[in-house]
Amino acid sequence: MHPVGTPRMPRPYVKIASLLGTALLAASMLPASGLAADKTIVTVAYSPTYVFDTNDLAAKWWTSVKEQFDTQYPNAEMKLVPIEGNYDDIVNKLSLLYRSPATTPDVVQIPTPVVAQWVASNYLLPLDSYVANTDWYKDFPQVIRDEGTFDGKVYAVSSGENDSMLYYNKDMFKKAGLPVPWNPQNWDDILTAARQIHAKVPDVVPMWLMAGTTAGSVGIEMGAGNLLYGSSDPTIYDEATQKWVVDSAGLRETLGFYHSIYSEGLGAKLSDLFSPTPHTVPVTDIIPNQKVAIVLGSNFYGGQWGKVVCAPCWDKATEVEGVAPIPHVKGQAPNVATTVAGWDYAVAAVTPHPKEAFDAVNVLSNRRNSIDIANWSGFVPGSSKFANDPELIDFGPPVNELASKIIQYGRILPPLPDFEVWSKGLQQTTGTMAQHPETSVDDAIGILKDYVTNQLGDDKVETK
Amino acid sequence: MNNAVVAAASESGKKVRLRKRSADHPGVDIPGMVLFLPAALLLLALFVLPVGYAFYLGFTDITLIGPTAVHFHFTGIKNVLRLGRDTLFWKSLWLTAVFLAGSVVGVTVVGMALAVLMQRSAAWLRAGVGAVSIVAWMLPPITVAVVWYAFTTTDGALSLVTPGDGDSLNHFPMLVVTLANVWATAGFSMLILSSGLRAVPSEVIEAAVMEGAPRWRIFTSVTLPIMRPTIVTNILLVTLLSLANFALIYIMTAGGSDNSTDILPVYSYQQGFVFKKLGYGALLGDVVVIIATVFAYLYVRVARQRPVRTRLADGV
Repeated sequence: MHPVGTPRMPRPYVKIASLLGTALLAASMLPASGLAADKTIVTVAYSPTYVFDTNDLAAKWWTSVKEQFDTQYPNAEMKLVPIEGNYDDIVNKLSLLYRSPATTPDVVQIPTPVVAQWVASNYLLPLDSYVANTDWYKDFPQVIRDEGTFDGKVYAVSSGENDSMLYYNKDMFKKAGLPVPWNPQNWDDILTAARQIHAKVPDVVPMWLMAGTTAGSVGIEMGAGNLLYGSSDPTIYDEATQKWVVDSAGLRETLGFYHSIYSEGLGAKLSDLFSPTPHTVPVTDIIPNQKVAIVLGSNFYGGQWGKVVCAPCWDKATEVEGVAPIPHVKGQAPNVATTVAGWDYAVAAVTPHPKEAFDAVNVLSNRRNSIDIANWSGFVPGSSKFANDPELIDFGPPVNELASKIIQYGRILPPLPDFEVWSKGLQQTTGTMAQHPETSVDDAIGILKDYVTNQLGDDKVETK
Repeated sequence: MNNAVVAAASESGKKVRLRKRSADHPGVDIPGMVLFLPAALLLLALFVLPVGYAFYLGFTDITLIGPTAVHFHFTGIKNVLRLGRDTLFWKSLWLTAVFLAGSVVGVTVVGMALAVLMQRSAAWLRAGVGAVSIVAWMLPPITVAVVWYAFTTTDGALSLVTPGDGDSLNHFPMLVVTLANVWATAGFSMLILSSGLRAVPSEVIEAAVMEGAPRWRIFTSVTLPIMRPTIVTNILLVTLLSLANFALIYIMTAGGSDNSTDILPVYSYQQGFVFKKLGYGALLGDVVVIIATVFAYLYVRVARQRPVRTRLADGV
């Protein structure tokens, strides 16, 4: 019903008005690109919840990076594409985004173990000509360059790396009559210390050693992988035969160490080892709450207890917690064993504006941003120049200094898709050893062998 | 054919040509078909085509990432042959059956107990227990998983009354995830079985009481047989709900420990999204779809049966 007192509009005007209204509505629904029409939009996919120690620090860093890029390149604009979730979620979501050029981000931050698979999919742009003109790439150590180099071409550059080390509680060591500072020369030294703690300081966990499947391959990177790389035969994938190693002297030494820890009651409780995020248990709970004597853990704990990250805050961290490199099984040179894995920046092969995309990588990789992301995520920066910067070293003493020093000895895990299968087999094996301490090394090798063989077939596994 | 209509027609002595149309034998109804079309198109676009495509993917070498991520190929029965050889698949199939059987028995027994108790209890108690059970059913799987994770691991409430390290979840993973599922689904079962109980004719029960039958006998020999279709419906729906309850197990154990809760949906996810073998993962998903289809078909068959009250009235 037409309201009384309101003049009725003549019919032709109604049509014109409705047309105009429709046009205005349509115009308002167009993307707000009018102002930025002449700007090149560079999309950058990143993790707002996983890479950084806290979500607030992730938001702070990425907002700052965007502001720097937008200011430095007035003709371009960075558009941030957050990828929520944990490690697997991020890889899966990115895999799906890359299936179509329309959804492929120009720049991406991806975990280093999956870069090879992106390269094999022809998703990434070779960056050789671009990195040659930067002032930071030349300072990347070889092991970090190798992570992003395939068939002689650079496809990805490091945004930061993780390596591993031994953490020890000085108070507990003193109570157990162990030397401080502690510098174990071989695996027997570690076991001896753990046994002594067990005997003299009975109410603490002697040693944290990742076991089980809930952390995925991160559990291998921050656990068994480090021991295997310090063993007498660290081969996981035999390049010559193109087969996965399921039984070797190195694996037997590694699983022998697990057997000692768990059969002698030197390990942590199952509910911590099998928790949904076991790799955070040492840094958030058992180290700062002084429930554990020795931890084979990641360098990312380093800055986490300080005033900036404060997750959790622990004033006495440097006073109480000492660090040492992980030795080789018999102390063989260089007697530093560690895995290396991190996050890389890469540019999409299908990007319509590769120059601007690499400009974004350049901003992401400048000194300020490299050091901030390293401090706020617990990384060793890719460039050795930044890795030895006092701002980094002083942020998480003494962890950051040791992490930067040992990264050159690190080895990457095989960057192949089937690594996940082998890794899952080893996770199952260590999980079984933690849950059923009576499991012998032979039985443990059998579990690994059966699992990998069932998934990949007889012709893809070997005994060395 | 409706008996009343036939009787009326023969009484009037007129030859009435009745169109044979019933719920079981519908004729072609053009306007009805037109009205059904949007829903049919939606079903086709959002269900039939994706499921059909997933079946096709199960016979390819598609991976989530790598050279065959985009350029994948039809590989015939290669994945099916692998399925036959895959010892984890057979273990997974068995674990799925154990989880479903445990859930169905647990949910139905608890749901029935709640329904019977509520029928006999005071109104305030009925309302209270009903609300709590339904809230448990309404909770998202993540909440159920976190509650049960906290309850059944070391330092959880259950550890106070269990021997050893109190880590029930990791020592008895299948039992604990099944109990969590029973806890979360019993409210749903209670709703269905309560309505079934209300549908039991009071005159039949009264007749049994007058015959001097004890309560338990009345329940097992009168109430339960009359409720049979409701119970079967309940069993089938609980089976389908449990089969789809991927999130609960994935969050609580991710298939562990030692693959002991690796039911088919979890194993399918693992192959597709951890090992990136989408083709094989899709084939495992296809097996889940086939199992669900069998139960869904049985459910539809049961649901189409005539209600008990009508059959009793007909003297059937």
